[in-house]
Amino acid sequence: MSLPATTRFNLLLQREVGRLWLVVWVPTAIFVLSVVMGYRIRGVRDLRKRFRRLVRETDKPILICPNHLTMVDSALVTWALGGPWWLVFHYRWVPWNLPEYHNFASVWVSRIAAWATKCIPIVRGGERAQVSQVLKRIQHVVSRGDTAIIFAEGGRSRTGRIQTETIAHGLGRIVNSIPDCRALCVYLRGDRQDRWSTIPKRGDTFYVDFEVFRPESENSGMRRSRDFAVQIADKLVQLEEKYFELRQATA
Amino acid sequence: MDQSEIRAKIVEIIGVYAKDKDALAAATDDTNILQDLKVNSARLVDVILDFEDAFDIEVEDEDADNVNTIGDAISLIAAKI
Repeated sequence: MSLPATTRFNLLLQREVGRLWLVVWVPTAIFVLSVVMGYRIRGVRDLRKRFRRLVRETDKPILICPNHLTMVDSALVTWALGGPWWLVFHYRWVPWNLPEYHNFASVWVSRIAAWATKCIPIVRGGERAQVSQVLKRIQHVVSRGDTAIIFAEGGRSRTGRIQTETIAHGLGRIVNSIPDCRALCVYLRGDRQDRWSTIPKRGDTFYVDFEVFRPESENSGMRRSRDFAVQIADKLVQLEEKYFELRQATA
Repeated sequence: MDQSEIRAKIVEIIGVYAKDKDALAAATDDTNILQDLKVNSARLVDVILDFEDAFDIEVEDEDADNVNTIGDAISLIAAKI
């Protein structure tokens, strides 16, 4: 998965432009989530403590693989794992995102904004060669120490539960292509999030849990990538089951 | 195995995943697997893994990136068996 030098330079430029105004866009995004929308993360202090321990203890590449119910999930996951100022001083943990092109990058203003905030738009279900180019970019940035968010289900779950049948193969392909890459599976759900939606209800409180692991497979080629994607989906299903068990126990 | 046999087997495999059965019945080498046959993009990987089983070949992700049409699939498989 090698990239042309111009593409590598463009990614470096994009990354550094994002860093230049990081102190503006990351706190602003979190201000919108926490103050304007009134969202809360349950147990955020312990959650971040766990995450920072993970950051300290691993020097392996990490791909963040959350479930997907709303269009602001990647911002919520980023905020949940790191506070605004921690993220400002730990830029590599501000993840690259793959927003759907038609949602976030079809007009020039949002395209520029996406470019300047570590986003690489993707056309979901598009031509494999185009999707492959995007995955190569993500593989490149993750293998060089940054992290990225890829939603395991490809798009927002239409059932409100993890949809293993729509699992994104590209996820397994990236983890497979980066030596020692770990998958950080994150389960995120608002208390009032019964099904998928554009954005969560104002004032919602979010449950967040995560587990990191290295998928294993004795296969090779596409089958190995597929095994990895399935294992990541299975881990998310486990996290989801844990969430519903806890919810039932506290109901 | 000649190209017509490969083609017949490919169409049979894709038939499990294709939503547009009429388009499948009229498929040519130029038929796009995702757009014309309405195969879900997440299922395309399953299609190619079924090719691996059916033809006893191994396909790398990079090879699969070039499979858009039935003709592409025939060329890929013919080159590997």
